[in-house]
Amino acid sequence: MMPVLSLDTTLPCEPGSQGKAARPLLQLDGICKSFGGFQALTDVTFDLRPGEVHVLFGENGAGKSTLIQILCGVQKFDSGRYELFGQDIAGLSPAEARRRGISVVFQEFSLIPEMTVEENLYLGHELTRAGRLDKSEMRTRVRVVLDRLGFDLSPAARVSGLRRAQQQMVEIAKALLLECRVLVLDEPTASLTDHEAGQLLAMVEQLRGEGLGIIYVSHRMAEIDRLADRITVLRDGRHIATLPRERASHGELVELMTGRTFEKFYPEIRRDPGPVRLRIEGLSLPRGLAKNVSFEVRGGEVLGLAGLAGCGKSEVIRAAFGLEKSSGGKIEIGGRRLYHHGPREAIAAGICYLPSDRSREGLAMHQSIGANATMAALDVPKFSRRGFGLRLKAERAFTSEIVDRLKIRTPDLDATPDQLSGGNKQKVMIARGMSRDFDIYLFDEPTVGVDVQAKLQIYDVIKALAESGKAVVVASSELAEVLHLSHRLLVMREGRIVGLLEGAEATEDAVLSLFFDKRAAKEERGIR
Amino acid sequence: MPKSLEHTPIRQRDALLQLALPVITLGMFVGFGLVEPAMLSAANVANVLKQGALFFFLAAAQLVALITRGFDLSVGACVSLVSVVASMAMTTVTVAAGPIAGVAAGIATGLLVGAVIGAINGALVAYGKINPFVATLATMSIFGGLSTTISGGFPIFDLPRTFTFAFNEAWWLFLPAPVTMAVLVGMALHFVLSSTAPGRVLYLLGDSPAAAHAAGLRVRLHLCLAYVASGLLAALGGLLMTAQIGSGEPNLGTNLVLGSIAAAVVGGASLRGGKGTVLAPALGSLLVIGLSVGMNLLQINGQLQPVVIGAILILGAAFDLLRARTR
Repeated sequence: MMPVLSLDTTLPCEPGSQGKAARPLLQLDGICKSFGGFQALTDVTFDLRPGEVHVLFGENGAGKSTLIQILCGVQKFDSGRYELFGQDIAGLSPAEARRRGISVVFQEFSLIPEMTVEENLYLGHELTRAGRLDKSEMRTRVRVVLDRLGFDLSPAARVSGLRRAQQQMVEIAKALLLECRVLVLDEPTASLTDHEAGQLLAMVEQLRGEGLGIIYVSHRMAEIDRLADRITVLRDGRHIATLPRERASHGELVELMTGRTFEKFYPEIRRDPGPVRLRIEGLSLPRGLAKNVSFEVRGGEVLGLAGLAGCGKSEVIRAAFGLEKSSGGKIEIGGRRLYHHGPREAIAAGICYLPSDRSREGLAMHQSIGANATMAALDVPKFSRRGFGLRLKAERAFTSEIVDRLKIRTPDLDATPDQLSGGNKQKVMIARGMSRDFDIYLFDEPTVGVDVQAKLQIYDVIKALAESGKAVVVASSELAEVLHLSHRLLVMREGRIVGLLEGAEATEDAVLSLFFDKRAAKEERGIR
Repeated sequence: MPKSLEHTPIRQRDALLQLALPVITLGMFVGFGLVEPAMLSAANVANVLKQGALFFFLAAAQLVALITRGFDLSVGACVSLVSVVASMAMTTVTVAAGPIAGVAAGIATGLLVGAVIGAINGALVAYGKINPFVATLATMSIFGGLSTTISGGFPIFDLPRTFTFAFNEAWWLFLPAPVTMAVLVGMALHFVLSSTAPGRVLYLLGDSPAAAHAAGLRVRLHLCLAYVASGLLAALGGLLMTAQIGSGEPNLGTNLVLGSIAAAVVGGASLRGGKGTVLAPALGSLLVIGLSVGMNLLQINGQLQPVVIGAILILGAAFDLLRARTR
């Protein structure tokens, strides 16, 4: 694959103040590694300085795990150079790496649930005195480590009784119990609540202050913004760039990670307008949420709805679907007018609405993926006999199909959405769109709270729908998203449509001025 | 990366919780049996099964309401009213047209009463948007009062022998009649809940009413139907209890409400809705009835039974919380 940007990948970085003069703790040069025929790493360069957090960033399968495994001696590298604390390393065993001061906290925990915190911490290197376990000494040392980390944990607590975040803390304490100069954290916040994650980040900052070199694997932009001193991006087993945090914008990181340039980040959607599928004429909603809104959408096109929060864009598509009552106007689907319809009639008429609030309106969180995906199609012959007896086999086949097609990451087909990440929840909801033959798709904030990969997959779904002749409406508060996805863009403000932008006129500046200009005009009038 | 590993402990805990109840129930039988061998005699086991079967109908009625995130406090009043009204219909028609017609009329009337009570509850909850607690507390009082008023407070005797024999003493398919009925009804209910669209809708709307509505499901209709089903199940229980006791009793169901909720919840239905299979009322009923029979055998003061039922309800709620935590 061609590098997207002609970035000099060995940027001379201004390190954090502590690390300026320091020699790197470890340095990798031209590392290659293959598994059978699969080239996992090609010519990878990486270094870590004392007192810095170096983020490893990349998609799943980009080579992050392999790189970490080489660092800590779990895998041998085929060629290249590995220098650790100034010494050339040819072969390193995990035990030796540990002894030299490299500690790794993997995503899968290595704790033994039935043992106490303290027993786990000293597992495999128990302290002894005169051939007997030196329990008091171990306990003292464990207390010291836990105190230093600010963890409120009893050394005698059983691991099985701890919350996941606490287990994570034990895991980190275990890494730090032995003299450690390099700490590797592999997505440490993946299973933590926001509060717990905050604690963990504070701890990482403290350890950095103590001069440890920390390699931090994460996809979360907020964490990267807070912690990173430098960021190394890997893609397809290659080193793409190493950037200081100040020079790595979110957009740029995502471009580097995906290999899609900003334009390519949003798919090019072919436009092939067919017949008008949805026509809204003079639609008004109670409390002025929408005033005299008219537009139409054709098959094979994507219509964007942009506007600030509360401008009425969401309410308009909800009214089209029958979730909001209108106070005036017409809604026509395929030339047929709907009167006082609800979601049921809208679905029967071929509208699929995918709500913005997936946990409240989009999903039944504790029912299976299959039950969620087929929720709007229980009446179609594919999933039931005359709307009564469920065809559970067909449901299962469909579930496995959508899990494959939308790449839903789930432990198994019987999992429930509450066990999945935000992006995967969203994909389960979107799967509903494939459960029956819809003509019109209304997306309300389709990518709110999902990770970058899921975002790209959702864009691909939108592209596929439009190109197969469906009419698609995307209402989004993310300006770049509506701007790039839609063929025509309606801008709403205070319940009214204030502009229709098409092709070259649809620029960020044009939209923003439409968002605000009435307010600006009002202020001007006020001054006069 | 073995993503699935992340979930194994959760699954295991879930499985453990599911095993907990059968183990506790079995342990209770063995425990009582060790102290009082009569507990495990064939006659007593048949008795526990029979009582458990009667109770199952009420716990199952509760399950259906619980799945929709509601509950039905009127099941006891429904049992009483069904007992009175069905008995009156049965005795009257028997005099005029013979016992077979009388029994048929009694059963039909009983089921009709159950369906009407359920429909009223359902209409109040689904269309009147009244909290199920308030709605069914009110109908409990109304229908309980009606059953004493209609009967004048006295039992209705002279039920046709055909009725008490066929629905209490007889054995159907190698099991006492009420047990066979419970098994058949339980299987039918299981089929409806797990393999039909209306059953599926109950779980979905119990889990998230807003999501069910946005998916085009008829939330209010199904909610209403759930209470009708609940009323019908309670009516079936009322008919069988009437056959067992041999007369129409205006207070037949008065003390059964709390127990029915306890049995369903301890068995695995959730007060948060959207959860629970037919196994919940089945196992829960065996536990509640087993405890009650065992306490009788050990001659423990009968007044203590409400205390035990209350404790079971708390245990059930605790289980519910644990199950929610494992998620």
